Amino acid sequence: MNSIAESFRFLFSDLTGEDNGPLPAVPDGVPEALRPAVADAIAELNAYQGPSYAQLYAHRLNRFARRRDVDAELLGLIARQMARRMCYDDPIGIAQRHLAAVRCGTASEARHRFRLEELVGALPGKLGRPLLLGCAQVGWLHLPISLRFNGCGLWGRQRLRLQAGLRRWRRFSERYASERAWVERWLHMIDRSLTKAPAAAMAIAETATMVDGSGETYRRGLADWHLLIDGVVKPVLDGAMPLADLAGAVAEITTLSREGSSERVAETVRRLRKEAGHGT
Amino acid sequence: MDVSHLAQTFGSLFVSIFVVATYTMKTMIPLRVFGILTNVLLIAIAIPTHHYPTLVLHGILLPLNVYRLHEMLQLVRDVKKSVNSDLSMDWLKPFMTRRSCRAGDVLFYKDEPAEEMFYIVSGRYRLVESGIELPVGALVGELGMLSPTHERTQTLECIEPGDVLSVTYTQVEELFVQNPEFGFYFLKLASARLFENIGKLEDKLAEQVYGGVGARPATA
Repeated sequence: MNSIAESFRFLFSDLTGEDNGPLPAVPDGVPEALRPAVADAIAELNAYQGPSYAQLYAHRLNRFARRRDVDAELLGLIARQMARRMCYDDPIGIAQRHLAAVRCGTASEARHRFRLEELVGALPGKLGRPLLLGCAQVGWLHLPISLRFNGCGLWGRQRLRLQAGLRRWRRFSERYASERAWVERWLHMIDRSLTKAPAAAMAIAETATMVDGSGETYRRGLADWHLLIDGVVKPVLDGAMPLADLAGAVAEITTLSREGSSERVAETVRRLRKEAGHGT
Repeated sequence: MDVSHLAQTFGSLFVSIFVVATYTMKTMIPLRVFGILTNVLLIAIAIPTHHYPTLVLHGILLPLNVYRLHEMLQLVRDVKKSVNSDLSMDWLKPFMTRRSCRAGDVLFYKDEPAEEMFYIVSGRYRLVESGIELPVGALVGELGMLSPTHERTQTLECIEPGDVLSVTYTQVEELFVQNPEFGFYFLKLASARLFENIGKLEDKLAEQVYGGVGARPATA
């Protein structure tokens, strides 16, 4: 009887978002000093989404842990930034964080600003995709929306539970797909720099710090990151744009973006491209 | 008890045997065949007994079962034909979804877990790490489904806008499980394509080492 129930659970697992996979171990190639941090990241990702998501993290990290040209410092940076970026700030994730604070006895109340596309993008793709198209047509995608997350009151906690429960369907959302593609692109750039420009690998891994938070901060950081990668890093790694100090250029733009100066980011990218004779 | 009532009772009993047999089938083709037989029998019984709702229901189910059976048999025929001829994967096209790509779009990254295969319909695509450009009509990622690690070995980037068709490994696995004959020929086809790739690599290696295929020394 038990196994029949399990079979039915498996049949509807896509619909219910159930994830009963095993929790991954810390990859073998991870140095001893880094293992506690990686184990914490795996536990955090398991709480954020589930064992399969933690498996994906371990699998991605293992690609670099098994390489000889990746030292402990770079691996540690990749491990930290990847865990941070994989636990991205969508309304579900923020509700999970507030709920965790309630469990720890540090309940708080806060307002978070999002753009409408972030809220719609967190819905399952089949529902979210047509809504996103509709919002784009009426020009509402960038509409700022403020949401209150309240862990202090009874009603607020119930709302947090409801919102956090949506995590089961998060992996079917448009946002999940775009975040997955973002992390893969970031890792791909690190991987290519290790082959073509090893001195810049650390700076490229550090670019993940440009993308953070939600709402306008997130959008601006993401736009800066894509500008840096498409305008400088990719052309240099493709061999199409000569640049003597890629690491320095990437570090400079990362700092400018973290300071919130998107205009100066765009200006620096333009200057570097002009200096390299690669147009504007 | 009149004769027509007796015929109806025995007819229903006979059909019940076919209904049970249909439900006991483990794979898709026998299930469809028995489904069709059951539909025909129930239609044959419904006409003289004037059970019109049953007649309408099985009148709808019969062409549906015939169409699905035809689809399955067509799939097996196409895969079998492909194994014996050009190793093409064109038979997979009806099960694929069209997707448009812009220049700069990346279809997948090296070392990423592989979940789907692609068929190039139009545009230009390049494997970033090796710099190899893939021609229109190429299928990418079919061997990833059978590899134990399910990892991409290269990055595929679109360099000129175009369309690709994609099918997830789960969809192919479903076809595989529903239809063992398809599964058998699919395995044969995948192995043949793998051996073909090995052959090409051997020729390329021989060209590099001995300066031409013809120059390869005879082996025992």
